[in-house]
This record gives sequence, C-alpha cells and structure tokens, in this order.
Amino acid sequence: MTGALFVQLVVNGLAIGLIYVMVASGLVLVLGIARVFNFAHGQFYMLGAYATYFLITLFEMNVLPALMIALAIGVFLGGVSYRAVFHYMRGDLLRCGAASIAISMILQQLVSIVLKPTSYGVNIAIFSQIIEIGGVTLLVGRLILIFLCLIVMSGLYYLLKCTKTGKAMRAISLDSTVASLLGINTVKIYWITLALGSGLAAIAGGAIAPLFVINSDMGSNVILIVFMVMVVGGIESLSGAVVAGILIGFLQSFGYHFLTGYAELFMFCFVAVLLIFKPRGIFGTFVKEVY
Amino acid sequence: MVLLLKRSISNNMPVKKLVPLLSALVTAVILPLIFQNPYYIQIGIMIGVNAILAMGLVMLLSTGLVTLGSAAYWAVGAYASTLLVMKMGLNFWLALLVSGFIAGIIGLGVGAVIIRLSKVAFTFVTIIIGIIITLVVGRVDFFGGWGGIVSIPKPDPIPLPFSITIDFTKRISYYYLMLFLLLLTILVSFALYKSRIGRTWKAIKLNLQLAETLGINSYLYALLAFVISAVFAGLAGSFYAHTFKTIEPETFGFWRSIYIQVYAILGGVDFYISGPIVGSIILTVLPELFRMAKEIEPIITAIILLIIVIFLPGGLLSLPEVIRNSRGLGAKENLLPALFRRNKISRSKN
Repeated sequence: MTGALFVQLVVNGLAIGLIYVMVASGLVLVLGIARVFNFAHGQFYMLGAYATYFLITLFEMNVLPALMIALAIGVFLGGVSYRAVFHYMRGDLLRCGAASIAISMILQQLVSIVLKPTSYGVNIAIFSQIIEIGGVTLLVGRLILIFLCLIVMSGLYYLLKCTKTGKAMRAISLDSTVASLLGINTVKIYWITLALGSGLAAIAGGAIAPLFVINSDMGSNVILIVFMVMVVGGIESLSGAVVAGILIGFLQSFGYHFLTGYAELFMFCFVAVLLIFKPRGIFGTFVKEVY
Repeated sequence: MVLLLKRSISNNMPVKKLVPLLSALVTAVILPLIFQNPYYIQIGIMIGVNAILAMGLVMLLSTGLVTLGSAAYWAVGAYASTLLVMKMGLNFWLALLVSGFIAGIIGLGVGAVIIRLSKVAFTFVTIIIGIIITLVVGRVDFFGGWGGIVSIPKPDPIPLPFSITIDFTKRISYYYLMLFLLLLTILVSFALYKSRIGRTWKAIKLNLQLAETLGINSYLYALLAFVISAVFAGLAGSFYAHTFKTIEPETFGFWRSIYIQVYAILGGVDFYISGPIVGSIILTVLPELFRMAKEIEPIITAIILLIIVIFLPGGLLSLPEVIRNSRGLGAKENLLPALFRRNKISRSKN
C-alpha cells in the first residue's frame, strides 16, 4: 500500500464516518434526552438527501441554501412527528419502536411510489473536481463534505455546552423529573430535541446528495449502520458516537478496498467481537440505564 | 404431551375460559375442510408460521427485552433442516427436531453474549445479528448464495395403521402439520407462563432491580426465554422450508423481523397466546386483500399499526377492557374520550 492510497482511503473513511457521526449524534440526542427510539431517523436522512437533490437540479439552487432548506424540512418533520406521535409514548421502547417503524414504512413507501425505485445522482462541477496535494489526488467534494460536517458538529457542541437550551437538554438527560421540578419546560425541550436530531439527519442526507447516488432504500440502510455506531460508541454517549462513527467509516473505506465483497460481513463480525469484550460500548457507562 | 396438557389446563382454570379456546381449535381444524381452495390453505399455513414466530418474540418480550432479529433463528432452522435433508439425507422428522436444537444452540451462544448489554443495545445488536446471518447465508456458496435453495423435498410420509399413509401430496396435510406445531407451541408457552418461570419473567419485566434483590438470576431467566424463542423459530423455519420448497436469504431479512414484531404488537403484547395469533391473522390476510395494490400495502399496514400504537397501547385485544373501563368511570363518558384519557395517563407517567 502506497502512501497516496492510504491518504485517499483515510479521507474517504473520514467523509463516510463523519456522515455517520452526524446521523448518529442526532439519534443519540433523541434517545438520550427525549427517550424516543426513533427508527424513522433514517428516513429523515433520505428526505434530506432528496430535498437537496431536487432543489439543486430542478430549482437550480446553490448547495448551501439547498442544505438549509433540507435542514428546515428535517426540523419540521421531527417536530411534527413528536407532537403527533412520540409525545404519547415517550420512554416506551417497544411502542416508540413500533410507531417509528410505521412512520418509516410510510415515508419510504411514499417516496418509492412517487419517485419510482430509481437512483439519482447530481453532478456539480466543483464537487467532482480533483485536486492534487503532494502527489495525492483527492475529490474536492469529499473535502467539502468533511469541512461541512466539522462545522455542523462544532455548532452542535456549541449549542449543547454554551446555550441555555443545551443546558436544559443536558439537565433533562440526567434526570427529567428533577429538571421539570426546577422549572424547565420538559415537553418543549423534548420537542426541540426531536426537531434538532431530525434536522441533523436531514442535513447529513443533504450533504451526501451531491456526492453519492441516492435512492429510497438509503434511509433504512444508514439507520442500521447508525445503530451499530451507537452500540459501539455506547448508547447515548455523544463522544462515543463521534469516535465509533469515524471508526466505522474507516472500517468501511479500508474494508471495501481490501476485502471487497466481504467488507460488510467483516465489519459486522468486528462489532460483534468488540461487544463481547466491551458490552457497553467504548464510552458506555455501567451506572445509568436508559430503559 | 399429556403432561403439558395437564400443566397448561390446571384445575383452577374456569370453564368459561376453556370454551372459546376449544371452539377456536375446532374452527381451525374444520375451516380448511370447508374452504378447499389451496390458496386459502396456503394463507392459513402462513398465519400459523407467523403466529409461532410472534409467540417466540412475545416470550422474550415478557421478560422486558425487545428483539428485532427473530427472523435470524427462523433462517437458521430453515437452512439447517434443508441442508440436513438435502446434503446428508436425513429423515425430515429427525431434521425438524435437530434444526430446532441447532437454532436453540445458536440462540444460547448469541444470547449468552448479548443479554449482558443494556436494553436498547440489546435491541440494536439483535438487528445486527439478523443482518449477519442473512449476509453469511447469502455470501457462502455452501448455503446456496443469494439465489437460495430450490426444490426442497417434502416431508417423509407417516405410515399409519390400516395401510393409510399421510404422504404430504396435498396442501391440507401441511396445514394440519402446522396446526400441530402451533398447538405444541401454545401448550409449551401455556405451561411456561403458568409455572414459576413465567412468573419470574413477569417479575423481571416489572422491576429488574427488585427481582434481582429477591435472589432471581435475571440473566439466566432471560437467556432461557431467548433460547426457547429461538427453538420455536427454528422449528417454524424447518417447517417453512419443507412446505414452501424454496428458501432464499431475502426472505429472512430485516423487514421480516419487523413484521414479526408488528404481529405481536397489533394483537397486544400482554396477551401472550391470543395476541400473536390475532395479529398474524389480521396482518397475513390484509396484505392478501391488497394484492392488487402491492405498493400501498405497507402504507396501510403502517397506518393501522400507528393507530393501534397511539390509541390502544395494549393492542387490539385490550379493546374490551378499555370499553369496560370507560363504562366504569361514569355514564357520560363514551368510548372515544376513554381512549384519549388512557394516553393522558401514560403521558404523566413518564
């Protein structure tokens, strides 16, 4: 393996991994703060990707405003799904799972009926350009993707650590009863969390739309990998989701290059073996139980 | 068998409860004799297989663990039985038992590791294991690859006295075999739920910490539920493979597990036996009715599920209880406010 190839694989792995990090951190927030087990998270990711695709191709928008609109769609869907459905079953793993699976089935089937199960891909000049840095050829789109993900993640960090809403979120994740006793409007925070988490998924979907092919199955495919990321990182641990997401991204990028067809199998088995030795994930704690 | 029957129908069981059970059984026996159309019988067989799988899932749910990978053990049973019969030339009836055993062993190995995880992680990992099994089966040529295995032999004939043999040429004999397996599952479940084990499962679900304080090894009991549900799924898988003659990895995928969970939730999770049966009857017949519009079938299923989950948290079978409660609360209240009130109660609980 040459150095150039190694750098290329690292960049690819980082790009994929950061997408997983974004989707997974949204789900970690939803699960850790609002106590909602949301299967439809992956479908928000898919809708974000479709929204960005159609805004870019049909309305000839720039990438950035298109991403903003995708984010708004995700926020809206998350908020609506909380008020309409999850509000009545918060904290119940089975019922939340069933309801969100139902939402996910409806969204996926509607998309595949309306748009037919074909795959779409956009071509944007700047994204498919190739630059050469020190003998390593890289796709500009991947670098932009990494940059974007880093901005979004640091924005999330700022929101959680430095704003009052973030403080309320952290308080609720510790103990929702005490938080509500101290005057935090918990229902509002749950609502905001769902909106924020779904917005993260949608913007992650929007970010990959100019780079990868999108289809109506992508939501349910990504949600499985995101579950794996969360299990490896430790459920409801944000830093765990970041580390595990990048780890899984590297496993995929290196795996597809060296093992081709068996990459997925290898990845799943790796996770299974890891869980034997670390049942609560890398950053998981033994103290707290979500459910 | 007799012992199981004795245990499941204990002395304190009222006759009032026994009558609907027996009448349901008689209906199930007589119905295929009236509707001889093989298409209807096929649907009946599918209902039975789904009900067995959902019962295994409900057994695990009764300990408080949510699994989304129950189709994996179904796949294990189907492939084990198929390979045993086709490559090693084993008798079907022996293969049926052995495949149930193999599914149980794999369930034991997997469960021993993953029950230690937290509850949400357990759910996630069952999904992952379901995918691993489909991937292994699809990738490895020994298991037939993505194309699957076709022309699986039918079950060996059973010789009966007076030179009669059941030779499994007609669809109806498969139906009765399904009914026998279903009955076996029901009896075993009944016996378990009525015994100390079933009560322990309930205790673990209600309050894990308290149960452990009282000296219950929750890990072992949860593992037992996991293994038993794997055995049920393995038996159902073996039966499925030899009834439908073809198996492919896609059949046992992730969505299959989701559907199995939906059967259980639709009927009602707290109704250990009747819930899965009602759920699988509804959700097996309904897609067949919408066969013309195959695209919108999942949407209709999903909308039904959503309505049930929001308005009837206890499942379809809890409807009589909800109505009864609404009557008890006063003359003015009718059914609909009662449904909403139920939600309000659960809202304040969290």
